[in-house]
Amino acid sequence: MKNKVLRRVYVWERPVRLYHWLNALVIVALCITGYLIGAPLAIQSNAEASHSYWFGIVRFIHFLAAYLFFFNFIFRIYWGFVGNKYANWKNFVPTSKAFFKEMWDVIRIDIFLKRNREHLAVGHNALAGFIYFLTFIAFAIQCLTGGGLYAAMSDGWLPALFAWVPGVFGNDQTLRMVHHITMWFFIVFAIIHVYLVFYHDFVEGRGEMSSMGGGWKFIEEEVFHKHKA
Amino acid sequence: MSSRIVVDPITRIEGHLRVEANIEGGKVTDAYSSGTMVRLIERILQGRDPRDAWAFVGRVCGVCTTVHSLASCRAVEDALDIVIPPDAELVRNLMYCAQYMHDHVVHFYHLHAMDWVDVVDALNADPKKTSEIAQAISNWPKSSPGYFSDLQKRVKGFVASGQLGIFANGYWGHTAYKLPPEINLIGLAHYLEALEWQKEIVKVHAIFGGKNPHPNYLVGGMACSIGLDDVSVINAERLAYVGQLLEDGKRFIEQVYIPDLMAIAPYYLDWGAIGGGLGNYLVYGDLPTNGYRDESSFKFPSGVILNKNINDIQEVDLREDAQVKEFIGRSWYEYSGGDGAGLHPWAGETKLNYTGPKPPYEHLDVEQKYSYLKTPRWRGHAMEVGPLARVLVGYARGREDFKEVVDRALSTLNVPVTALFSTLGRTAARGLESILVAGWAQEFYDALITNIRNGDVRMAETTNFDPKTWPKEAKGVGHTEAPRGALAHWIVIEDQKIKNYQLVVPTTWNASPRDPEGKRSAYESALLDTPVANDEQPLEILRTIHSFDPCMACAVH
Amino acid sequence: MASSAKPQRPTYYEELIQKGYSRRDFMKFTTMIAAYLGLESSGVAQITEALMTKSRLPVIWLHFQECTCCSESFIRSSHPIVADIILDKISLDYTETLMAASGHQAEAAMHKTMTDYPGEYVLCVEGSVPVDADGAYCCIGGKSAVDILQEAAAGAKAIIAWGSCACNGCVQAAKPNPTGATPIHKLVKGKPIIKVPGCPPIGEVMAGVLVHVVTFGRIPELDRIGRPKAFYSKRVHDSCYRRPFYDAGLFVESFDDENARKGYCLYKVGCKGPTTYNACGVTKWNNGTSYPIQSGHGCIGCSEENFWDNGPFYRRLSSFPGFGIESTADKIGTIAAGVTAAGIAAHAIGTNIMKKKIIQSHIQEGRSGAKELDIEK
Ligand code: HEM
Ligand code: HEM
Ligand code: NFV
Ligand code: SF4
Ligand code: SF4
Ligand code: F3S
Ligand SMILES: [Mg+2]
Repeated sequence: MKNKVLRRVYVWERPVRLYHWLNALVIVALCITGYLIGAPLAIQSNAEASHSYWFGIVRFIHFLAAYLFFFNFIFRIYWGFVGNKYANWKNFVPTSKAFFKEMWDVIRIDIFLKRNREHLAVGHNALAGFIYFLTFIAFAIQCLTGGGLYAAMSDGWLPALFAWVPGVFGNDQTLRMVHHITMWFFIVFAIIHVYLVFYHDFVEGRGEMSSMGGGWKFIEEEVFHKHKA
Repeated sequence: MSSRIVVDPITRIEGHLRVEANIEGGKVTDAYSSGTMVRLIERILQGRDPRDAWAFVGRVCGVCTTVHSLASCRAVEDALDIVIPPDAELVRNLMYCAQYMHDHVVHFYHLHAMDWVDVVDALNADPKKTSEIAQAISNWPKSSPGYFSDLQKRVKGFVASGQLGIFANGYWGHTAYKLPPEINLIGLAHYLEALEWQKEIVKVHAIFGGKNPHPNYLVGGMACSIGLDDVSVINAERLAYVGQLLEDGKRFIEQVYIPDLMAIAPYYLDWGAIGGGLGNYLVYGDLPTNGYRDESSFKFPSGVILNKNINDIQEVDLREDAQVKEFIGRSWYEYSGGDGAGLHPWAGETKLNYTGPKPPYEHLDVEQKYSYLKTPRWRGHAMEVGPLARVLVGYARGREDFKEVVDRALSTLNVPVTALFSTLGRTAARGLESILVAGWAQEFYDALITNIRNGDVRMAETTNFDPKTWPKEAKGVGHTEAPRGALAHWIVIEDQKIKNYQLVVPTTWNASPRDPEGKRSAYESALLDTPVANDEQPLEILRTIHSFDPCMACAVH
Repeated sequence: MASSAKPQRPTYYEELIQKGYSRRDFMKFTTMIAAYLGLESSGVAQITEALMTKSRLPVIWLHFQECTCCSESFIRSSHPIVADIILDKISLDYTETLMAASGHQAEAAMHKTMTDYPGEYVLCVEGSVPVDADGAYCCIGGKSAVDILQEAAAGAKAIIAWGSCACNGCVQAAKPNPTGATPIHKLVKGKPIIKVPGCPPIGEVMAGVLVHVVTFGRIPELDRIGRPKAFYSKRVHDSCYRRPFYDAGLFVESFDDENARKGYCLYKVGCKGPTTYNACGVTKWNNGTSYPIQSGHGCIGCSEENFWDNGPFYRRLSSFPGFGIESTADKIGTIAAGVTAAGIAAHAIGTNIMKKKIIQSHIQEGRSGAKELDIEK
C-alpha cells in the first residue's frame, strides 16, 4: 500500500483557537448555571436568607460568563472578516450551489456512512460549517434573549441595548422559554460536535483533535492542491 | 294596543343584558331576555391543566369573584378524589362569607337602590328630620343633622355643576318613586358610605388569596400557609385583621343595610305582589361545617321547591343524568343532537352558532334563537335560583336560624309569607341571608382559631397534586351557592388534561331564553304583569330585573 | 409638555362673562338656582364656586368582553376613594355598571358627552372587542362593540385600556380565541392609548392613572409598549419581599410544605414574578393589604400579554407548544440529548463496520510508516 503524502497546514490561527476554548468553557458554564436557574436544587434548610446566597452566586456566574461569551462572540464575528480563509464567514454561510453539494456529500459519507469513502476538506467541511452557522445564530438568539432578560435587572449600558427585545417576543415569559430551549440546542450540539471531532480524527487521521490546540492540520497533498487551485 | 319596548343596555348589572317587552294596558304582557356578549370560556378550557382551571373560570366574573374558582377546585378535587384539610375549608368559607357580604351590599346600594331611591328628591329633605329617622332606625353613628346637611350641600353643588355623571338621565321624579325625601337622603348617604365600606370587607380575600377581585385558590386546599412564628405567612396579625374585618362587615349589615331595607320596604309593599314569576326554586347548598362531602353539615341546605309548595322539598343530585340538563333550542349554539336535545353537563357541548340579525339591529327575532345563554332545566322545570330560593328552602326545611330572621322581617313589615314570592321578596331575602352569613362568618372564624390553637395548621392536601398520580380518566362536579344562586361546574379529565368543562351558572338559570318547549325562565316569567307607567322610562322593569341581581358575564361565560 | 396640556374649557362663569353678562348677573343667577334647589343662603357660595371652577374631566367608560372586575377593582381604590373621584375629579358620564339610566337614556348620556366635549373626554375601555361574526359576539343596544368603540374613540382626547382584556385580550383571547377577541390598540389608531394591564389592575393604580390625568392635565409617561412607567417599570420579582429567599436558593417545593410555612420563594411552584411587570410588590392590593405572593400563591403573570397561554401556573417553565401539558422544554431537551447520545453510539459502531477499510488503511499506513522509520534508523 502506498502511503499518503501529508502536508502540515496552519488552519486555526491563535485568535480562533483562543476564541474556541474560551467559548467552549463559557458555554459549559452557561449551560450548567442556566440549567440551575431554570430548575434550582432543592435545598431543604432552615437557613435564614441572609446567611446564604448560593442562587445569587449561580446567577452571578451566569451573567459573568454571559459577558465573556458575548464579547468573545463579537470578536469571532470580527475575525470572520479579517482572519484567514478557514476562519472567513464564507465558510459558514451557504452562499453557493457548491456549498450545498458538499453538504450533501458529507451527509452521505460521514452521516449515512457510505461505505469506504472519505470526504476530505481543509478547514471545516461544508456541513460542519453550516452547523456552526446555525450555532452562531443560536449564539445571537442567546445573546438577544439573555440580554433582553438582563435588561430588566440591570442599569448597565450594555443590557440597556437589549431593552427592546422583550417587546418583540410579546412578554418576558416567552423570552425566557426561548432562552431556555436554546440551551438544549447547545447541549445537543456539544455532544455531536465533540463526537464528530473524534470521529474525523479517527477516520481521517489528520490530527483534527490537536488542530484546535496547535492550529495545524495534516492535509493530503492532492487535497491541498485541489483547494489551492 | 300593544307596544314593544327594548331596554338595552340594562345598566347597574354585570354585563350585557337586553330585554324586549310587549306592553299592553300599562303592563308587561310578554318579555324576552337576551344575553348579548359571549366569550366561550368552556371551549378555551379544553386541553388545559385541570389545576389551572380555577383561574380561568375565576375570570368568568369579577363581581361574584371567587365563586367560580371555588366551584372549580371542588370539581377537580371531586374528580381526583382529594379531601381538603379542615382549615382550608374554613378559609374558603370565610372568603365565601366575605364575598356575600360584599356582593349583597353593593347590589343593594349601587345596583338596586336607585330603582327605589330618588336621588334628586333627596335634595328636598330636611336634614334634621332625616337625622331623627336615621337615629330611630339604627344605632349607626353617622346620623347627625350636620352630617346629612353637609352631604346635601355637597350633592347640591354637584347637581349645580351641571355634570351629573352617573346620575345623568336617571328616572328622577318618576311616579313610581314613593319614598319621602328624608329616606331618599338616607339612601343616598349610605350609597356613598357603602362605596367606602365595600373596599374593606374584601380584604379578607386579599389576606387569604392575595388580592381582590380574583383572589387565588388552589386545588387541594389553599395556598395561604399558616405559620404562627413567621412574619410572611398567615400569623396572629393576619388572623386578627380578618377578625376585625368580619366584625366591621357584620356591623354595617346590621346597622345600615338591614335598617335601610326595612325603612324602604314599607313604601313599596305593593311590590310584594309583583314579579313573583315561576314559583320553582332550586338550591344546591353550601358552607360545610363538617367537610364539603357531608351535605347535611351545610349552613345553606339544598333542595327544590316546585309551585311555591314549601311543604314538599325534593332532593338534588348533580350526577344524575335526568336532573340538570341544558338546552339550546333558543340560544345561539348548536348541539350534535339537534336543537331539541337537552344535555347533562358531563356530556355538554359548547359550539357557537350565531343566527341573529347582523348588527346594528333594532330588534331580535325572538321567535327564533335570541340569546347567548343556554337554557338549564331541572327535571324539565324552569327554576329560580338565588337568595329567595335559599331563604325559602332553609325556611321550608324548618331551620331555626332561617325561621328567626324571616319571621321577624315578615312581622315587622306585617306581610304574609306569600309576599316573599315577589320582586320585594327577592330583594328582602338578599338582606336576610346577609344577616345569617355575617353571623356564620363569626362561627367559622372561631372554628379556625380553635383548630390552629389545637395545632392543626394544614392548609393544603398535595398528595394528588402531581398529574402522574391521576387516573387516565376522571369526572367530577363541584357546586356552591353563589350570591346569585346555585352554581356548579362539571369536569371531565382525560390524560391529565381537561376534556370537557361545563358551567351551569345562577344567572343562566334565571335569565335564559325559553326552552325548546317554549317555557319561560325566571326573568321572562317574573316580568309578566309588571306595571309600566311610562314606556320611555322602564323603571319598573328594572326593579324586577335588578331584584335578581343579573350577572351576564357569569350567565354566558 | 405644553402641547399635551388639558385644553382649558371655560367655566360657566367665564362663559357668561364672555357672553357679556356682568358678575352681578352671575351672582343673581347663582342665588336663583340656590333657591330653586332649596338651599339656605350658605349654599349660594358653594354653587358660586361650582360654577366658577372648571368642569370635571368627562369620562366615558365602555364595557365589552369583560368580567367587570376592572370596575370592581376601581371601586376598591383607597386613595383617593372612588366617591371622591366621581363626585369631585371626573364626571363619569357613562358606565353600564353604575349609571342610573338604562337603555336609550343611557345611550343619550354618552352621546351628550361626545357632542358637548369633542376632543376633551377620556375614553376608558374595559374588556376586549370580538371582531369575528361581524361583531355579533358583543352587542350593546343592537350595535356591535367594534362600532361603539370606533364612534366613541373618534372624539376622545385619550384612551385608557383597563385591564388585560382591553390591553391584550386576556382570557377570552387565550387559545383558540373563539370569538376573535381583540385588544383596543389593535382597533384604534391615532389616539394616545394608556395601557393599564392586570387581571384586574390594582385599584389604586387605576385611580392613580386617572388622577394623574386630572391633576397634571396630561397622560403619564408610558413605556415602550404603552404602560405608565410609574406602575409597570419593575417586575414583581424586583420588589418582592421574598426575593432574599430566591437569592439564597430557598424555595417552596410543594404547597404548604415546611418551606411554605416559612414564607420561602415560590419560584419552583410556578411563580411568574420574574417575568411579570406590575406594582404588586410595592403598591400591593386592597390598600396595601397583601398581594398574591404574600398570601402564598405564585404570581400567575396576570399583567402580561398572553399569560393564559404561558402556563401551566404551577411550573416555572411553560408547556412546550405542541406537546402535552406535562412536557417541558427540559423533558424534551433531555430526550433529545438522550436520542443524540444513542445515535452517536450507533454511529460509532456503524463507523467501525462501514469504514473498516478506510480505518484499516490508516492503520496500515501508520504501520508502514513506522516500518520505514525503523528501516531508516
Ligand atoms: C450559550 C449561552 C447561554 C445559555 C445556554 C443560557 C442558558 C440559560 C438558561 C437555561 C436559563 C434559565 C432560563 C429559565 O429557565 O427561565 C438562563 C437564564 C438567564 N440567562 Fe442565560 N444562557 C446563555 C447565555 C446568556 C447570555 C449571553 C445572557 C446575557 C446576558 C444570558 C442571560 C440570562 C439571564 C438574564 C437569565 C435569567 C436569570 C434570572 O432571571 O435569574 N444568558 N440562561
Ligand atoms: C473536547 C472538546 C472539543 C474539541 C476537541 C473541539 C475541537 C474543535 C475543532 C477541531 C474545530 C474545528 C472544526 C472543524 O474543522 O470542523 C472546532 C470548531 C468549533 N467548536 Fe469545538 N471542540 C471542542 C469542544 C467544543 C465545545 C464544548 C463547543 C461549544 C459548544 C465548541 C464549539 C465550536 C465552534 C463554535 C466551532 C467553530 C469554530 C469557528 O470556526 O469559529 N467546541 N472545535
Ligand atoms: N350568576 C352569577 Fe355569578 C354569581 N353570584 C356566579 O356563579 O355573578 Ni357574577
Ligand atoms: S382584565 Fe381580567 S379582571 Fe379585567 S375585566 Fe378582564 S378578566 Fe376581568
Ligand atoms: S416569590 Fe416569585 S416574585 Fe418573589 S422572589 Fe420568588 S420568584 Fe421572585
Ligand atoms: S398574578 Fe397579577 S396580581 Fe400581581 S403578583 Fe402577579 S401580577
Ligand atoms: Mg355553560
